[in-house]
Amino acid sequence: MPWKDRYTISDEKSLADGDIRWPEGRRCAVHIVVDLSIASGPQGLEMRDLESPAAEFGSHEGLELVLEALQSHGLRATFAVPAVLAQMHPAKIKALIERGHEVATHGLRHEDVSLLGRDEEKARLERATEILTQVSGRKPAGWFSLPRQTDPFAGGTISSSTMDLLIEAGYTYMGNGLADDIPHYWVTDFASRRAILTLPYYYHFDDQFFCMFPVAGTGLENPDMLLRNWRAELDAQYRRNRFFTMTLHPQHIGWGHRLAGLEEFLRYMTALPDLWNPTGAECARYWLATYPAATHLKLEPSIWKDYPGSLS
Amino acid sequence: MTDSPNGEDLKAAAQRLSDRHHRIEKPAWPDGARIAVNFTADFDAMLLRRLNNEPAMQLAKGEFGGRVGIWRLIELFDQHRIKATIFTVGRICELYPRALEAAVSSGHELADHMWEHRVPKEPELELDHLRKTAAALERISGRRPVGSRSHHTPALLRSEGYIYNSHGSPSHHPYYVLDSKGAPCLLELPFHYAIDDAMFFSFAWYQSANASQRLSDTDRVFDLWWAAFMQQYRQGGYLNVCLHPFVSGRALRIAMLDRLIARMKTLPGVWFATCEEVARHCLKQHPPRGSSA
Repeated sequence: MPWKDRYTISDEKSLADGDIRWPEGRRCAVHIVVDLSIASGPQGLEMRDLESPAAEFGSHEGLELVLEALQSHGLRATFAVPAVLAQMHPAKIKALIERGHEVATHGLRHEDVSLLGRDEEKARLERATEILTQVSGRKPAGWFSLPRQTDPFAGGTISSSTMDLLIEAGYTYMGNGLADDIPHYWVTDFASRRAILTLPYYYHFDDQFFCMFPVAGTGLENPDMLLRNWRAELDAQYRRNRFFTMTLHPQHIGWGHRLAGLEEFLRYMTALPDLWNPTGAECARYWLATYPAATHLKLEPSIWKDYPGSLS
Repeated sequence: MTDSPNGEDLKAAAQRLSDRHHRIEKPAWPDGARIAVNFTADFDAMLLRRLNNEPAMQLAKGEFGGRVGIWRLIELFDQHRIKATIFTVGRICELYPRALEAAVSSGHELADHMWEHRVPKEPELELDHLRKTAAALERISGRRPVGSRSHHTPALLRSEGYIYNSHGSPSHHPYYVLDSKGAPCLLELPFHYAIDDAMFFSFAWYQSANASQRLSDTDRVFDLWWAAFMQQYRQGGYLNVCLHPFVSGRALRIAMLDRLIARMKTLPGVWFATCEEVARHCLKQHPPRGSSA
C-alpha cells in the first residue's frame, strides 16, 4: 500500500525554492485568476443570482474595469467561467480570448459537485466542456472549483470523483488546490501514479472574502487587509523564486476604492523585474514538461498503519 | 427558580480555583535574561480536519503544513539559531517522518500533541494513545517526550514521565497546577489564543459562521505580537508563540516571523529556548511550593 493511500493527495515534500526554474530565467510566476461566477449557493448559478445589482455590475462595468486594469499593465489572466454563463455572454467570452486571456471551465453552473453522484457529475462535466469549447472555439485546458461565498469553508468543493473525471476528460490542470504554493500533482491512484497537475489557490489572496466578511453590506469589509496580504505574499514568493496567485471577482474588486487598490497593487507588482505572467494552461504545460510526474512525483511505500482504537 | 449558587459558594469556588494554580511570581531566567520566549509549532497538518470528517480541500489545506510549512519553520528557526518545540500529533510520525527527523537533527524538541488530536474518554484508550505517541516520537528523536500540549489527564501525564503541559492561560508566567489532593502535578507553560496564528489567519474554519471568520494581515499581527512581547519584556516575563505549520508556513507569514524574531534579537536579555529548557529551569529554580523537589 503506497504510503499516503486514502490519506493525503500528494508527495511528502514540496520542491525547494532553489530547485525551481521559470522560463528564460524569470524570478517568479504570477498567475491571475478572474472568477466570473456570480453563483451564491451550492446549486450554482440560479435565476435569483441574476436579480442583484452586483450581478449586473460584475458582468459588465466591473468586468470591463478589471480587464482595463489588467490590460494597462500588460497582464493576462485565466478566467474561470461557469459554462451557462458563457452561454449568456458568448461575445464577451470570445473577446477575452482575443485579448490574450485564457478561459477555463468553472463547472456547468459553478455548482457544488460533492452533492452529485458520479454519473451526474460526469454528465455535467462533459456538458460544461462541450459548451465552453463551442463558445470559446477551443477546448478548455483548465478546471476550477472555486469557493462560493455561502460555502461552509473557503477552499472550494470537489467530490471524491472530480479529479479522476478531470483526468478522464483530458483536462491539463485543476486550477485551485491548497496543498502547496507552486504547481503540484494531485494523485488519484497511488498504485498507478495517476495524477493531475494542480495550480495553487489560497483564500487569503481571494478578494471575495475581504469584501464579504464579516458581513457583506455592513461596511465592515477589509480591502486594505487584502492589499497587504497580496503585497506580503508577492514579496515573499518573489524572494523565494516561487509563485504568486491572486483570485479576483469583478463584482467585488471592480468597485471604486477596491479597484484603485487593485491598480495600485498591479503597479507595484509589474515594477518588479523578471516576473513571468503565464495563463494557467501555459504555466501547466511548462511545469508538466519541466517537472514531469514521472521524475518529480516521489511516492514511497506506506508506513501508515491501522490500529485498534484509532482512526484508520 | 433553579438553585443559583449563593455568594459564599461562589467565593469558595473562586478560592478553590486560585488554590489549584501556583504562579511563579518573578521568574529568574538564566544569565539574567528579562524574558523567556518559546516558539512552538502545533503540527497536526490535516489530522484534525480528518477527525472532523471535513472535505477534500480542507484536508489539502492542512497538507500544506506537512509538505511545505513545517520545513519552512525549521529553516526559519535554524537561521535564527533558535531552538523551538514542535507539539506533534503522534500519527504525523507516519505521515511526515522526514520533516520530524530534520527538526530533531536541528536540535528542536518534539513534544506530545495527542495521538490523533483527540483525547479519548475511555481511560485505557487514553493511556494507550499517550504511550503510542511517546513511542512514535521516541523512534524519531531517540528520547521520550517530556512535554505535552493537550487535555490529557494531568496525573496520567505525570505518571508517564511528563514534566510540563502548555495549554491554559491563567497567568502570563509559568505556573504549577495542583491535583485534587493539593499536590503539585505539572508545570504549565501558558499560551494565549491572542498569540496563536490560527486565530488570525485560519480563515474558514469548517462550518464556522461568517462573523467568526479569521481574516487578518501580517502587518497587523506583527504589531500585535510585538506589543505582547514588549509588555512582558518590560516587566520581565514569558512569551509563548503558538504557530501551526499549515498557517504560518505560508511565505508571507514566515517573512513576518523573520522580522519579528530579528526585532526581538535587537534587545538584550531575550532567552529563546525550547519548552523543555524553560520547564527544567523553572522546576529547578522555582520548584513548586511545599514540594521536596
